[in-house]
Amino acid sequence: MTAIVTRQLSKHYPEVRALDGVSIALEEHRIHGLLGRNGAGKTTLMQLLTGQVFATDGTMEVLGASPVENADVLMQTCFIQESQKYPDTFRAIDVLRVAAGAYPNWDQAFADRLVDEFRLPVKRMIKKLSRGQLSAIGIVVGLASRAPLTFFDEPYLGLDAVARRMFYDRLLADFSEHPRTVVLSTHHIDEVANLLEHVIILDEGRVLLDADTDELHHAAMAVSGRAADVDAFLSDREVLERTVLGTLATATFTARAGDERAAREAGLDVSQVSLQALFVLLTTANAAAAEQPIGTRSATDVATS
Amino acid sequence: MLDDSKPLFVAVAEQIEDGILDGTYAEDDPVPSTNELAAFLRINPATAGKGFSLLVDAGVLIKRRGIGMFVAPGAREALRQRRRFAFQDQFIAPLLREAAQLGISAEDLADMITKEAVR
Amino acid sequence: MRIRNVVQLHTVNKLQAFGWPLVIMLLSLTVVLIIGALVVNVAAAAGDGAQARAGMNMGMQWNGAIFALLGPLIGFGFTAMGQYFPLALGLGLTRREFATGTALVFAGNAAFYAVIITIGKVIEVATGGFGLGIRFFDTHFTGTGEWWQTLVQTFLLILSVMLVGAAITTAFHRWGQSFLWVFWIALAVVVLAFSAGLVLSEPFRGFAVDVGTMGWLPWMGVVALLGAVGAAVWLALVRRAQAR
Repeated sequence: MTAIVTRQLSKHYPEVRALDGVSIALEEHRIHGLLGRNGAGKTTLMQLLTGQVFATDGTMEVLGASPVENADVLMQTCFIQESQKYPDTFRAIDVLRVAAGAYPNWDQAFADRLVDEFRLPVKRMIKKLSRGQLSAIGIVVGLASRAPLTFFDEPYLGLDAVARRMFYDRLLADFSEHPRTVVLSTHHIDEVANLLEHVIILDEGRVLLDADTDELHHAAMAVSGRAADVDAFLSDREVLERTVLGTLATATFTARAGDERAAREAGLDVSQVSLQALFVLLTTANAAAAEQPIGTRSATDVATS
Repeated sequence: MLDDSKPLFVAVAEQIEDGILDGTYAEDDPVPSTNELAAFLRINPATAGKGFSLLVDAGVLIKRRGIGMFVAPGAREALRQRRRFAFQDQFIAPLLREAAQLGISAEDLADMITKEAVR
Repeated sequence: MRIRNVVQLHTVNKLQAFGWPLVIMLLSLTVVLIIGALVVNVAAAAGDGAQARAGMNMGMQWNGAIFALLGPLIGFGFTAMGQYFPLALGLGLTRREFATGTALVFAGNAAFYAVIITIGKVIEVATGGFGLGIRFFDTHFTGTGEWWQTLVQTFLLILSVMLVGAAITTAFHRWGQSFLWVFWIALAVVVLAFSAGLVLSEPFRGFAVDVGTMGWLPWMGVVALLGAVGAAVWLALVRRAQAR
């Protein structure tokens, strides 16, 4: 089943088009990555999909129906947002208690274990918690909810690398035992690249990339060597980035089958492009293309020396 | 830990193959489950599953319904053959390229190999 | 409808929900009792005891000390939308569920404290102001008539103010600063017009006196009407309220 389908989904605010014509389909029981620069529209998309914000245009189906004011859909959906506001007098344990009642699949034993592991002081007022502890609340709720569709919007803010690793491990372990659909938005792309099955990159409210991570692996490649050799090799390619140092050059380009061997035979060094690097390249290229007049948009050259 | 020059699921498959070749997994031995392997390598279970599927399709692993995945009989030998075949492309070609860059002739190369083998 | 969950949302922090308001009320009552005791003792020393007590009893008809309790309750109308609504949405509760559950909690709160104040008033009247002639529960704000009038009046007052507070908060959330400007200016205009009328117009003064001495029931009608308007505005606006 497709857990989420959107068609031309848009959210326009007076000052900005937060989301513009987004059409995606997310399969159930997969971990989907939602990537994008700050302000790209990731949070807006998730807020729309959970009925917290109303769309300006387009349609969406979450778990088969519109999520707006739909308790049947919403009780199977958990949205952990980094900007969640809590009542002034609330403590973490209050949130956990209410969440336990709101989510039909809540696992209290799991929640208790997570509270221990993340060292969350549950009886302290939320106002007095550090950013990391605040994030921990979201993580505990998100994981223990066992909601068939769970959104994590940058859930790791303030968490150190050890706690982040713990989150990924717990997420992975629980996902394996109790499959659910997970949508994870993150800036620590390389940390989660191996967890993601499918990736959507949003940029300025639009979909820049929508692909399975397996396909992305050979989407781009980097070669380096003598500038003349590099340029010759890439004469008919879409180059995403090119840097020059003296007579040496490195270039990243959209790869085709057999390119790796061909490049090595041409005497060039080949290296892989990580998901994070690819993300940076694509969004940078998109921004640069937006500034160029139409007609020169096919390839971008960022030369630095 | 995993070779990042290949798609993840291919690297996973190759890691299992390595284990079969070096004797870690003997024929008819069970291999770790998808979830176990995924947790160990910190990857998505679907990716681990894909890697296993590759191996099942290649006849290296067999799936015993309800029990799990096992190393197929004759897998070790079959893998050896396959890797021998790829050896030339994977190791010899780059070796010759590098040697050519350094001005080492094929005969010098042969000498070096013989000396190294004796050591 | 997950109304139970919304109610739980408001009451889970039990100390806050019921403890503090009562503690504050008791503290406020204690302060008034101390004042009363001082007045009586000082006056008694001067040989003026009975008169001082009577005077104090009269003056305290407008004793606003009870607002120590009512104030936080009024604030609840604002915080319900300002602080609890975002969390309700965050936990996947619908606006309809939230409105229904919160309205129930408003009513429950109003009923609970109306009962407490009524009991307090009955005791206060029976003991002649706790033996000191003070008034705390038995004021014009809470109704100086029969006990059932206090019950109804306090209930309506608390409930209406909560509903109006929720309406104002929702409107502010929707329209921001501009709403506040309009609201305060409108209020200022009304007060100005009213004052001008009082000063300039004899008939208007007469009218104002008539309204001021309107019976208990019409006044209750006014309070109930305000509450109903507040509820209508709140419920109409909350349906389109978006998380920010």
